[in-house]
Amino acid sequence: MTVFEARHIGVQYQRNGEPFAPFSDVSLALEGGRMYNLTGPSGSGKSTLLAACALMLPRSGGSLALNGVPFDRFHPTEWRRRVCLVPQASALVPGTVRDNLRFPWTLKVNAGTEPPSDEFLEELLALAQLNGVTLDHSAAQLSGGQQARVALLRAFATRPTVMLLDEVEAALDEESAVAVSRLTRALLTGATTCLRIRHRADDGYACGTFTLADGAISYEAHPVTADNTPVAGTGAAVGILEGASR
Amino acid sequence: MTGGVVNIGYGELVGASLLMLVAGIVSWRLRLGQTRRIAVSTVRAFVQLLAMGLLLVYLFRYQTWWLVGLVLVGMCIAAAQIATGRTKNVMGGLWADTFASITVSSLAISFIVVEGVIHADPWYNAMQLVPITGMMLGNTLSASAVATDRLLASMDSRASEIYTMVALGATPREAAFPSIKAAVGAGMTPTLAQLSAAGIVQIPGMMSGQILAGADPIIAAKYQIVVLLMVSAATTLSIVVMCFLAYKKRFAAEGYFLDPALRDDIGSRGSGR
Repeated sequence: MTVFEARHIGVQYQRNGEPFAPFSDVSLALEGGRMYNLTGPSGSGKSTLLAACALMLPRSGGSLALNGVPFDRFHPTEWRRRVCLVPQASALVPGTVRDNLRFPWTLKVNAGTEPPSDEFLEELLALAQLNGVTLDHSAAQLSGGQQARVALLRAFATRPTVMLLDEVEAALDEESAVAVSRLTRALLTGATTCLRIRHRADDGYACGTFTLADGAISYEAHPVTADNTPVAGTGAAVGILEGASR
Repeated sequence: MTGGVVNIGYGELVGASLLMLVAGIVSWRLRLGQTRRIAVSTVRAFVQLLAMGLLLVYLFRYQTWWLVGLVLVGMCIAAAQIATGRTKNVMGGLWADTFASITVSSLAISFIVVEGVIHADPWYNAMQLVPITGMMLGNTLSASAVATDRLLASMDSRASEIYTMVALGATPREAAFPSIKAAVGAGMTPTLAQLSAAGIVQIPGMMSGQILAGADPIIAAKYQIVVLLMVSAATTLSIVVMCFLAYKKRFAAEGYFLDPALRDDIGSRGSGR
C-alpha cells in the first residue's frame, strides 16, 4: 500500500539572492512498512527534497499525498506532524531530556493526545543505546551524538506516518548508528514508512535506494532479507509502544 | 509671560546653539565625520520645534475635533516613519505593523489619560492631547523599534531551533514564542528602570519643564507620575502588539521559517546601515 507519494515535485527559490533549482520534476512513492535510502552526490538536493516533502521550502510545482489525500487538504502543521522531518542538525529545546521528548505535546497540533509516559520514554532511550542518559539529564550536557539521538527519539515518540531522516546518524559511532537503524525499523508498522538520507555503507534495513543526481531520481530495489522485509500490521515494537498510546 | 515663566529671547536662543560647538569641535578633532550631521540635526531641532510651537499656537486658537485629529494622525505617520528608519531589518509590511502598534498604543493610552485622569475640556483639547500623544509616540516608537530588532535577531539566532520546532508541527507563533517573550521582556526593562530611578537621579523632562515654567512642584510631580505610568503602559502595549505582528513576517504562508538564506528581500541581508 502506498503511504506517501510525491509527484513531479520541483523546488525553486532565491537562495542568498541566487536562483536555486536543484530539481524540477521528481516523483517517488513510499510503501507502508518499509524503509528507503536516499543517496546522491552532495549538492544534488537530497535534503532539499526531504524539506520539500515536509512543506518546509518553496516549491515550484508538483503534488504530495498521504494515503491518497493531497497535501493541500491538510493544515501545514497537521501535515508536518504526520510527515515528520528530522533535520541533520536538530536543535534541542532548553531543559531536560524529558522536556525535549515531551516537547511535541506542548504544541497545539498534539493537543488531543496524551504525552508519553516516563516508562515509554525510558524504553526509547534504552533502544537508542542511551542507557546512561536519564530523563532528568540536562539536554545541554549531552554529547553531540547523544543530542542527535534524543532529537530523533523526540520525532519518533510522536509516531509520525512518514519519517524523513536527514543523515541523523552522521554524528554517531558505528554501534549507535546501527542501534538507531534497528530502532527505526522497530517503530515501523504496516501503515508507516521511512525515507532516510545516508552516507554510510548500507546496513541492510532498507528495502530499496533512491538516487538523486542531476535533477533526476532513480530507484533500485534491494534483495529481500529478514532485516528489510516489509512490516505488516502493528509491527515489532507493539509491546513497548502499547504504553505510549494509553 | 505668565506667572514665573522666564521667556527666552531669540538672541539668547541663537547663543545657546553655540553649545553645539562642543559637539562640533569633538567631531572635527577626532575626525568622526559627523560635523555635517551635527549641523543638520541642530538646525532641524530648531526649525521643527519652533514650527511645532507655531502650529500649537494656531491649533489652540482654532481647534476643532477634526483638526486635532488630523494633527494626531500626522504625528503617528511621522512616528512610524522614524521607527521603521531605526530598525535594522527592513522588510515589506513592517511599516504598517509599526504604524499600527505605535498608533494604537499611543492613542489608546493618551485618550484614557486625557479623558479619564486630566478630564480635558473640550474632550479633544489640543493643549493636553497633542503634547501627551507626542510623549507617548516618542517613547513607543523607540521601544517598538528596539523590540523589533531584538525579536528578529533572536529569531535568526534560534533559526535551527525554530526549524526543528516547525518540523515537529509547531505553528509559526509557537516556534516564535520564546523570541517574542525575550523581546517583550527586554523591551520593558528600560521603562521599568526609568520608573524606579525617577526623582532620585534626575527630574524627568516634563516635570523640569513645568517647574521652569513656574508650576507648583507638587502639581508637576503628580503630572510626572501620570506620565511615567502611561509611558510604561503605552510602551508595553506597543512592544506586545509589534512583536505579535512582526514575527509573522519571518514565516512563509505554509508556516515554515524564512531563514536568512530563504529571504529574497535584499534589505534583510548584511547588517544594514
